[in-house]
Amino acid sequence: MDKQHYLMNAGIPLQIEASMPIPWSSDQSFFNPNSSVDHHFDSDAFALRHLIGKLDRSSPAALPSLAADPGFAERAAKFSCFGSRSFNGRTSSPPGSATPGQSMVALPRVASSPSLKLNGSPPPRNRKLPGSGANSNEESSVSEQIPSGETGSNSRKRKSASRGKNKDHRSNSPKEDENLKRSKQTENCENEQECNENKTNQKPPEPPKDYIHVRARRGQATDSHSLAERVRREKISERMKLLQDLVPGCNKVTGKALMLDEIINYVQSLQRQVEFLSMKLASVNPDMENLLSKDMYQQSTSLPQQMYPLDSSSPAYYHHHQNVQQQQLHSTNISSVDPLPLDASLGIQIDGFAQNLPQFPAFTEDDLHSIVQMGFIHNTVQNQTSNMKVEL
Amino acid sequence: MNIQPPNSSSIKSRFAVKFVQAMKRLSKRRGMGDRYKRYRATRAAARVSLAAAVGPERAWSRAVLRRIKKRRGLIGRTTTNPRRNLRGLVPGGKGMDYCSLLSETAHYITCLQAQVQVMQDMLHLSSP
Repeated sequence: MDKQHYLMNAGIPLQIEASMPIPWSSDQSFFNPNSSVDHHFDSDAFALRHLIGKLDRSSPAALPSLAADPGFAERAAKFSCFGSRSFNGRTSSPPGSATPGQSMVALPRVASSPSLKLNGSPPPRNRKLPGSGANSNEESSVSEQIPSGETGSNSRKRKSASRGKNKDHRSNSPKEDENLKRSKQTENCENEQECNENKTNQKPPEPPKDYIHVRARRGQATDSHSLAERVRREKISERMKLLQDLVPGCNKVTGKALMLDEIINYVQSLQRQVEFLSMKLASVNPDMENLLSKDMYQQSTSLPQQMYPLDSSSPAYYHHHQNVQQQQLHSTNISSVDPLPLDASLGIQIDGFAQNLPQFPAFTEDDLHSIVQMGFIHNTVQNQTSNMKVEL
Repeated sequence: MNIQPPNSSSIKSRFAVKFVQAMKRLSKRRGMGDRYKRYRATRAAARVSLAAAVGPERAWSRAVLRRIKKRRGLIGRTTTNPRRNLRGLVPGGKGMDYCSLLSETAHYITCLQAQVQVMQDMLHLSSP
């Protein structure tokens, strides 16, 4: 009949679709929440065309074209709800196994012949089969459940829903995957709060804010606003990871707020360190005019070689503080107790003195201007030392 | 997407040259005794030299250079003034969106680290 025929035809894209996410599981920006939904009768040809186009190109870049169809969103929503309810019995049985193995259901069995037809898909399918082979038990149980008293359309919907879920899982970042799977087992639907609670219970240190939007993804993924939001959020998390690498001691901290605090602390400490060093340099300066010229040559040659490890920069800060305390600072008289209070008191004292001078010297601005201008004229650094010599 | 992270050694050498020039000019000035003027001038010179070494390709360095050109309160900025806010710490951070603020912060941190290392080296060299 038409339905069976459709099933057979749909089996091809179903199977291929199922195998497709695997090569792209590592691609975090890849999302195709709605590609599983193509088997609605109305969008049949459209879906197949898309899928075939996908396969021909076999590149993740082709997929978002599907997401542009707003109808997919609602269908995905409907099917996912469908699938979740009927899925619960199935998902509970293999708790620890990977859900993709489950969802692949009877697909590898359905059509071995259609698999040969398509060129782009064999490698993913090869990867697929060992996984499915491992879960053959679940497959058999699941596949038996499918024909049992259900129409073809319903089973197809369930398959697509399961696949939609799994694809959605894989489209997220790997650590979100575990949470999604766990929450999926515990009766999930479009209810954001429930899922949010589940996720926060299971993984408290993860910021719940990200997961709320992950759950919303499935329902509103094709919305341009949420797309842009998601991209923005991924950008932000990417940059937070960068910052985490930069700031020492940030690896233990998880969560955006704590990390931001750490970053703020670190930037403040670096700035204070610069101020402190500049104060020291200012006090040292008038004695060492000749040494400064020596510094220049030594700086330009030795700097690329001297690499203090970054981790030691912050403890070096405190050691430096202690050294400073032991030396005699004629400008300040402070008892050396602790680096941090010293710093604070220094800051206060210096600022107090600074405020006593009402106007800052105007000539420094000319200096600053000249510094800037010199930069724009002599861009290549290495020649500057010889130029400096001439100026002296 | 992001501009590449800064080359630490090139920034160090550029900053070192500029800063040493500025310090020399400072030391030759007559108005500077052993006072806090010199401290403030040194601090300003450090900040500006770093921004000039980075160049106009970064938002925070542009903000610093803009502030010089406007002849506004460049030196009045202290580290205690900006409160616990990243926008107050990074120069030019007030007018940025969050994403670029984060990337500017990353670049700014690397540049600050380079600056600290250079100044420490200078100290060690000048007074061994």
